[in-house]
Amino acid sequence: MTDISSTSPRPQAASNGWMLKAIPLAVILASLLLIPVMVGNQFVYHIFITICIFAALSTAWNIVGGFAGQLSLGHAIFYGIGAYTGVILMNMGISPWIGMFAGAAIAVVAAVIISYPCFRLHGPFFALATIAFLEVFRVLALHWRELTGGATGLMIPLQIGWEWMVFRDRLPQLLIAFGLLLLTLAVAWWIRSHRMGFYLVATRERESAALAAGVGTVRVRLAAVAVSAALTAFVGTFHAMYLTFIEPAAMFSLQMSIQIAMFALIGGLGTVFGPLLGAVLLVPISELARGWLGAHALGLHGFVYGVVLMLVVLFMPNGLMGLISRFTKQRRERGVSAGTIAASAATPTAAPRAPIGADVMRVEHLQKHFGGLHVTNDVGFTLREGEILGLIGPNGAGKTTVFNMISGFLKPDSGSVTVRAADGSWQSPATPGDFATIGVGRTFQIVQPFAAMTVEENIMVGAFHRYSDVEEAREVARETAERMGLAPWLDAEARGLTIGGLKRLEVARVMAMKPRILLLDEVMAGINQTDVRRAIDLMKSIRDSGVSIVAIEHVMQAVMSLSDRVIVLNSGKIIAQGEPREVVRDPVVVEAYLGKEFIDAQA
Amino acid sequence: MNTFLQVLTNGIMLGSLFAIVAVGLTLIFGIVKVVNFAHGEFLMVGMYLTYVLTTWMGIHPFATVILVAPALFLLGAVTQRFLIQPLMSADDDHIQIFATVGLSTALINLALLVFGADIASTPASGLRTPLQLGPVRLLSGQVAILVASIAVVVVLQFFLSRTQTGRAIRAVAQNRAAAQLMGINVNWIYILTFGIGAACVGVASVLIAPLYPTSSGIGTYFVLTAFVVVVLGGLGSIGGAFAGAMIIGLIDSFAGFYIGSDLREVAVFGVFLLILILKPSGLFSSRLNLSHVSP
Repeated sequence: MTDISSTSPRPQAASNGWMLKAIPLAVILASLLLIPVMVGNQFVYHIFITICIFAALSTAWNIVGGFAGQLSLGHAIFYGIGAYTGVILMNMGISPWIGMFAGAAIAVVAAVIISYPCFRLHGPFFALATIAFLEVFRVLALHWRELTGGATGLMIPLQIGWEWMVFRDRLPQLLIAFGLLLLTLAVAWWIRSHRMGFYLVATRERESAALAAGVGTVRVRLAAVAVSAALTAFVGTFHAMYLTFIEPAAMFSLQMSIQIAMFALIGGLGTVFGPLLGAVLLVPISELARGWLGAHALGLHGFVYGVVLMLVVLFMPNGLMGLISRFTKQRRERGVSAGTIAASAATPTAAPRAPIGADVMRVEHLQKHFGGLHVTNDVGFTLREGEILGLIGPNGAGKTTVFNMISGFLKPDSGSVTVRAADGSWQSPATPGDFATIGVGRTFQIVQPFAAMTVEENIMVGAFHRYSDVEEAREVARETAERMGLAPWLDAEARGLTIGGLKRLEVARVMAMKPRILLLDEVMAGINQTDVRRAIDLMKSIRDSGVSIVAIEHVMQAVMSLSDRVIVLNSGKIIAQGEPREVVRDPVVVEAYLGKEFIDAQA
Repeated sequence: MNTFLQVLTNGIMLGSLFAIVAVGLTLIFGIVKVVNFAHGEFLMVGMYLTYVLTTWMGIHPFATVILVAPALFLLGAVTQRFLIQPLMSADDDHIQIFATVGLSTALINLALLVFGADIASTPASGLRTPLQLGPVRLLSGQVAILVASIAVVVVLQFFLSRTQTGRAIRAVAQNRAAAQLMGINVNWIYILTFGIGAACVGVASVLIAPLYPTSSGIGTYFVLTAFVVVVLGGLGSIGGAFAGAMIIGLIDSFAGFYIGSDLREVAVFGVFLLILILKPSGLFSSRLNLSHVSP
C-alpha cells in the first residue's frame, strides 16, 4: 500500500534524491518554529503548537498503524494516560517532567497488556477492539472520581516556570512541543531505517513469511506498540499542561483517536514524514474555523475532515507522500525492465560436490489429523548433510502438511522433529522462530512476497536473520539477488514481479538467511523450461555449498536429476523411498499416480 | 423477586433495541464484508428525519417509516456505490475502514452544523406511556420495538432463505467469484444489501426516536453496542445478532442494577473483548468463515 522505497535511505542512489526530501523537510520544520516567532501573535502560536502536538501524536501512531499495519483507533488511551498521570502527579507536587516518564511507563504497560491478545485480530476487528478498550478507559476515568475528578475533570495547579512545564509565554510551549515533535520523528525515522522497521513492514505484509524468515512477529509488534504508547503519553502530558484542564470526554475520545489516525492516512500511511505533512495541512483548517467562526461553525471543521478523509481514501490512498514519491520516481526512472533473466544470471561456480555427511534432521512417527481426515500417518525420515531429498506424491498426499510440521507452522498430533544445531547438539524446535534460529529455512508453495517492499528489501528481511546491521544486510541481499538472477529488479516492488520472479524471490529470501537446511515447496511449479533448468543448476550449487535440501516437487525432470533419495507420499503415508530411478519404477508408486487401471493395462 | 423480574424485562427490552440496530449492521458486515463504522450515524440520520417529519408535519412517528426507511435505503445504496465499491478491491482493509470512519465523522459534524449541539426530542405520541404487566412496568414504545425487532428478523430470514434474490445474496457472501460465474451481478447485490441494511436502521430509528432524545452523538452510543452484538452473534448471522442482542441487553441491565449504572459499559465491553479474543467467530456461528480473522 505504502511506498516504502521513498522512505528508506539509500546512500548509493544519487545524493540528489536525498536532497529532494531533506530540503523540504528542513523548510517545514524550520517554519514551524520560525513563523510564530516572527509573527508573534498569540493565536498563531497556538496554531503552530497544536500542529506540533498533532504531528507528534500522528507520527507516534504511525509506528503502529502504518509500519506495523495495526489500525488502532484507541490511541487516545495512551494520550489520556499521559495527561492524567501528569496532572495527578502535579497536584501531588511532582513536576510534569517526571510525570511524563511515569505516564509513559504506565502507557507502555497498558499498551502491552491491551495489544498482546488483540494481535490475533486483523483489520476492522483490531480497530473495534481498540475502540472498546478506549470506551472502557473513558468509563473508568469517569468512575474513579477520587483519582480523576470524574466528569468534572481536573485543573492543573497554577505553578509557573520551566520546572512545572506551565508558562505565561507561548514561546517555551512552542519549544517543548517542537522538541517532542523532533523526538517522535527521530524515533520513527530510526525504526523505519533499521531492522525493526523492516520486520514491522514484513509482518504487516505477510505474517507467515515473516515468521519463516525468523521474525519474532509478536515481539516486534509489541515493541512498536510500546514505543508508540510511550511517545503518545509524553505528548499527552505536555498537552495537558498546555490545556491546563482535562476531562475524560476530551482525553479518552474516539474523535481524537480518529483524528490522529487521519492525519497519518492523509499524509501517507507508513511513511516517516507523512503524518507531519497531514497535520501541517489539516490542523490549521480546524483551528482557523474554530478561531474565526466560533460557535457558528460548530462541526464545520469536523465535516471538512470527514469529507477530506473520504476523498483521500478514494482518490489518493497513498496520501500526500504517495503523490510526492510518484512525482520524484518519474524523474529518476531507470529502465530496469530491459534486462533479461538469462543475461543477468550468474553462472554457478563448479565447485566439487561435498560428500553426503551425517544426519542433520530426524523426523519420527509424525501423525496429524484434520477432523476425521488422517493427513499424516506415521511419517518418518532422516535428512543428511549436503543431501537433496525429494518429496513427491499426488495432489493431496499431505506433502505440504509434512512441511508445515517440520518448519514449526503446524504442531503434529504426535511424533518428533529433531534438528542438529550448528554446534552439533540435537534439538527439538517448536515454533517457526525456533526452526529459523536453528538454521531451517523454508519457502511457500503459494508465494508470499512482502508485496509493498522492493525486491531488495524483501531479501533483506531474510538477511537480517544473520546480520543486524542495515548495510551488511543490504550487501548480503545484493549478493543473493545477483546469484538468483534478480539483480535487475532490486528496486522494483515485489508485487510487480512475474510468477517466475516471485518464486526466485521466495528462494532468495530464504537463501539470505544462510540456512543449513532448506525446505523448498514446489519452487519449480508453473515456471518455464529455461527457468527450470536454471533452478536445477541453482539447487545444485546450493547443495554443493553444504546445505541440505528437502524439496517438494512435481517437475519430474528436476526430481530425477537432483534428488539423492526420493520419498513418495500418498494419503499421508510413505509408500516408497529410495533412489529416484528405482522409485519411479515401483508399481505402488505408479499406481498412486496413475491408478490401478494403468498398471492392469500395462500388464 | 419483583425487582429481578423488572431488571429482566428491562434487559429484554434493551436487547430488542440493540437487536433492531444490529440486524442491518450484521447483514452488511456478513455479506459485503465491510465494517460500516458509519452505521450509527445512519441511525442518527434516521432519527433526525423522524424528528423533522413528526415536528414539522405532525405525522405519528411510526408513520414516518414509509419515508425514512426508503431514504435510508438510498443513503446505504449510495454509500456502497460511490464510497465502498471503488474500494472493494483495495488489498488493504485500512482503506475501507477509513472510508466509513470518514463518512461517520462527516455525518456527525453535518448534524452539528444543521441542528446545533442541542438535543432534539421527537414527540412521544403516547409511546412513553407506562404499561403495568403483572409485576413489571414497561413502555408501550418498548413493546413496539420488541415486536418490530422480531418481525424484522423473521422477514429478513425469510427473504434470505426463500427468495431468489435472497439466495443470490447468500451465494455472494459465500464466494464472490463463484457467484459472479453463476451470473449474479455482484455489485448490484452489494448495493442492494447495503441498502437493505441501512433501511433496517431506518426502521430502528423510527422506533427509537420517540423514546430517546436525538443528538449528533447518538449514533456512537448505539453503534458501539451494535458492534458488540454483531461480533457476539457471529458475523452475518441474523439470528445470532438477535440472540447476541438479548444477551448484551441482559448483561447491560443486570450490570447496571447490581454493579453500578456507570459501569454498565465496562461490563458490556469486557464481554466484547473476551469474545473477540477468545472466540472471534462469535458464540453461535460455526458456519460462516471469517475472512478477516487469522487462524
